[in-house]
Amino acid sequence: MATETTTVTDIADAAERQRRLELKELLNKKYKWVDWKWDLVFWTTAVFVVAGAADITKQLFAGDWDFWTDWKDPQWWPVVTAFATIIIPSTLQYIQWTAWRFPTGATYTACCLFFAAWVGRYFQWDLAATYPMNFVWPASVVCAGILMDWTLMKTKSFILTSLIGAHVWAIAVWAYNYVPLAAFLQPAHFMDHVVTVADVQGIAYIRSQTPEYLRLIERGALRSFLGETQYVSLAFAGTAAFVGYWIGQFIGRYLAVWPIRRYLKTV
Amino acid sequence: MAQAQAVQNAPRGSGDGSMTTGNPANPTDWSVGWHPLFWGCGLIMLSNVFFWYWNYAFMFTAGLNSASAEFTMYYWTLFWGELIVLGVFSGVWLGWLIRNGRAIEGQECSPAEETRRIAILWSLIGATSLAIYLMASFWPNWDGSWHQTMVRDTAFTPTHIPMFYFFFPLSVILAVGTYIYGRFHIPALYGKDKGFPWSFFLLISACVLECMAVAANEWGHSLWISEEIFSVPFHWPFVIYGWLAAGMFAVWGETLVRMFEIEKIEEDTNPEASLESPIAAD
Repeated sequence: MATETTTVTDIADAAERQRRLELKELLNKKYKWVDWKWDLVFWTTAVFVVAGAADITKQLFAGDWDFWTDWKDPQWWPVVTAFATIIIPSTLQYIQWTAWRFPTGATYTACCLFFAAWVGRYFQWDLAATYPMNFVWPASVVCAGILMDWTLMKTKSFILTSLIGAHVWAIAVWAYNYVPLAAFLQPAHFMDHVVTVADVQGIAYIRSQTPEYLRLIERGALRSFLGETQYVSLAFAGTAAFVGYWIGQFIGRYLAVWPIRRYLKTV
Repeated sequence: MAQAQAVQNAPRGSGDGSMTTGNPANPTDWSVGWHPLFWGCGLIMLSNVFFWYWNYAFMFTAGLNSASAEFTMYYWTLFWGELIVLGVFSGVWLGWLIRNGRAIEGQECSPAEETRRIAILWSLIGATSLAIYLMASFWPNWDGSWHQTMVRDTAFTPTHIPMFYFFFPLSVILAVGTYIYGRFHIPALYGKDKGFPWSFFLLISACVLECMAVAANEWGHSLWISEEIFSVPFHWPFVIYGWLAAGMFAVWGETLVRMFEIEKIEEDTNPEASLESPIAAD
């Protein structure tokens, strides 16, 4: 009995040793032309298309809430931002996990978006239109990206990442950006009214195309929730992010990976 | 004589490349396969810096009223100049690609030469990626800041003129040109017999549909939708069409798979030149 167990163990050890050898051989394989330049070119040039896709999605789905401090409200901003910003990170998460088992796609996209958003805000909103950066700074999703990638790394499941990671994303986007926003939510006495510092900015810096009545800030029945508005919004933001996550998965699966070596019918 | 004429007619850098000329250069050296990446991105950034400077200098002094003489001088001139430059560039470049492509169609291609061509394709894709960033992030930011502060008068504003009428069509030209290059130079992936690849279909569709969305967008703005909210649903088609550019990842994926096939061919045909290092189990 003991000999039989030893034999089975030996076979298993040999198989494991063989598997590790094969993996190591693959890892150390030297190619004639496939070298580090391909990696460098891919990761560098992909920054631009990823940054462009992530930024246009954020700008045209949730841009107004991202452009100004006085639009970063507790009711709409967490919901629309969580939804708009998770789509492309989810796409890259699928691509990088499928291709290399890298749990880095969301963080990579968040960094690309950070670069694109700050270039845009500084050169176009600050230098060209002369709005101060402390009025037009963009929200960052880098922290949320790290946490969502960590969720994928630990669960190894897109379904679980969508269920857990999307809610983590919504909370992290709000919490991470609440730190720089908090200073602008302090009360100020302005023209005999108590308003926030962000409100003063919104009044002081003229937006001729964006009338004051358009600000969708804490209106409707959610006012009845009083101090809970924020938490109701965050719960719904998680749901919205869940939907956004699967839109991103669709893009990754069917627009980025599925088309590889597939052809339309030859005429 | 006939042979000499054939060599003379052969497109530059399109035959067997380094293999036939005896040039020992590695096809993936920065100065061999990758140099179009630097040239392409350099020219695109140069044009972007030009438009950037132009808008800083003239948008507030000449760009507020499209019916003014100043606008005609600085912005209508720029608009027509853009169309002429893009028209000439697309005619020359795409024509050159087709002409050279037809000249080499059906010719055998060595693994080294195919590797160089794939590096060139990646370079063109990299330039397209940069153009997509400029059209989808850099200029929309400026368009946003303009629309939130200035009142739109027509479809031709200082931010629209570089964005909609230069970088949008430029991305179409680059995507189509990249496909044409692949169609003739990398027949193993994009040859006529394969059919039209989904990867390029999606990438080109993204760029073309963005241009079509410009027409729909301006038509709507001319009727009833103002620019009060930048994230108005009327702008969402720009986003959804943009997602189709994910086809670029399929181009990267399929060409990389082809690279490993080329390595395998090379390994099988020249086993003595194998670069594998000895492996030791731990």
